[in-house]
Amino acid sequence: MNFWDLSHSGKSIVVNNSETRKNYSYLEFQDRVDAFKAEMAAQNTKGKTLGFIFCRNSPAALAGYLAALQGKQAVCLLSVQLADFLRDELIRIYQPDWIWAPSEMGALPNNYDGKREWEGYRLSCISRESKGTEIHPDLAVLLSTSGTTGTPKMVRLSYRNLQANAESIAEYLRLTSNECPVTTLPMHYSYGLSVVNSHLQVGATLLLNNHDMMTRSFWNLFKEENPTSFAGVPYTFQMLHRLKFEQMQLPSLRTITQAGGHLDVQYQEYFQKACGRMNVRFFVMYGQTEATARISYIPVEKLSDCLGSIGISIPDGRMEADPETQELIYHGPNVMMGYAESRKDLNKGDELNGRLRTGDIVRQDERGHFYIQGRLKRFIKPFGLRVNLDDLESMIKKRFQKACYCTGDDSHLLIAVPHENLTQEVKNLMVDTYGMKLSTLRVSTLTDIPRLETGKVNYAALKDALLK
Amino acid sequence: MKEREAESMNDQNEKIRKIFADVLGIPVEKIDDDLQYNSIPEWDSIAHMALITALDKSFDIMIETEDIIDMSSFGKAKEILQKYEVVL
Repeated sequence: MNFWDLSHSGKSIVVNNSETRKNYSYLEFQDRVDAFKAEMAAQNTKGKTLGFIFCRNSPAALAGYLAALQGKQAVCLLSVQLADFLRDELIRIYQPDWIWAPSEMGALPNNYDGKREWEGYRLSCISRESKGTEIHPDLAVLLSTSGTTGTPKMVRLSYRNLQANAESIAEYLRLTSNECPVTTLPMHYSYGLSVVNSHLQVGATLLLNNHDMMTRSFWNLFKEENPTSFAGVPYTFQMLHRLKFEQMQLPSLRTITQAGGHLDVQYQEYFQKACGRMNVRFFVMYGQTEATARISYIPVEKLSDCLGSIGISIPDGRMEADPETQELIYHGPNVMMGYAESRKDLNKGDELNGRLRTGDIVRQDERGHFYIQGRLKRFIKPFGLRVNLDDLESMIKKRFQKACYCTGDDSHLLIAVPHENLTQEVKNLMVDTYGMKLSTLRVSTLTDIPRLETGKVNYAALKDALLK
Repeated sequence: MKEREAESMNDQNEKIRKIFADVLGIPVEKIDDDLQYNSIPEWDSIAHMALITALDKSFDIMIETEDIIDMSSFGKAKEILQKYEVVL
């Protein structure tokens, strides 16, 4: 059985939406999924289709997602915060046959007809005969590699990828049907999606929530519904630290997980201590969207010995370092089929055969634990989501016809611009269009770009100059 | 005396407004009492963290957890900061 079959019929609650507080049994939720499937069947009579779902942690988005999986349709999960023109560009490139989006979302391109509304979502279908190329039978889900920057590069995940990772996660976290995670990450983000998948696998209760931890609504929900776990990226833990997590009374909490970038060791130690006192399991994990979500984790009891490490492989996975480059290579059934850059790539089969070059440079200690030393590719994760610095540079150049240079780390995005008068415009572009956060962004004027002897930009020196 | 208190209150509010404008990256004119958390993309949870840090630093205080999560609008922020008896 697969997690999307909702086969845990004995379980009473599946969705508890924080806005409407509606409870569904798995069986009742399946009726919602069936209704969506029936609607789809009425619209698309021929072959496998591609859907776009703009995700909120809501019953409507979840039902659309599960209907697509059950009906063997392909679905691309996207952020509701995507800027309109980036969204339209993705629609042009991937030609989705249907779109499931919040009703209040801005008008779609006019070859899409709004067909049906349900719980604040609207189904729109392409009006002409779809010219889209065929879709590979194994393709289940497309996830963006970059969150809100809207680059068309997607990770292609198969049904087997999703199921394998859900099973591995349920196993090493020892999940049971007694669990009740409160969702703290969006569904279009691989980590957020993995929380949903792995808990459906064991028939747990999902507390679907969209409030963030800086709101009273979130903590009220927590008190009233008594969730047993939540997931966070590094900045979530910085927030919790500032909120004095160690003084909180959260008797229902049993597990917290951390992934989405490196959490400073000082915070790891703080949460390990606080969780120890509260009898909460604290899991530090590592992964990539290219591996569906999870690659490795640190077993709770080993955390003190492994601070700063990425731990051991998840069940059914294996890690090794390339003997020449020290790049981390991961093997497992959750390794993606490959990337897609446009609709025609959706017909491609598995190109990686379970072997992923992660782009992370590692060293291994004598006990076999891996530590990340750096990255081959130029990307940063300033708030859990990956930002490819080369992509950003080319997008800025395309927009302003001026060469700008991007660098940074998991806390800062630093941009050098050639003229003072570009500073504000580049800032606006980053924040308004690409969803970057002002507090993690620094744009400075720099005319003398440090270069290596080869003429290439010396990004290490550039970073030092910009941090000054 | 009353007048001076009112004046100092006004100064404090202006200082808070300036901090909001700087951290959120929006013009001072756009900040009024009704400006709500999460109502504009500039004021999300990450910005809220930065805002708390900036307020802590500027007024040399440590805002309590309950106050951080209650700071749901600019008006509310002004109200909350009053009780910290911040010195300008």
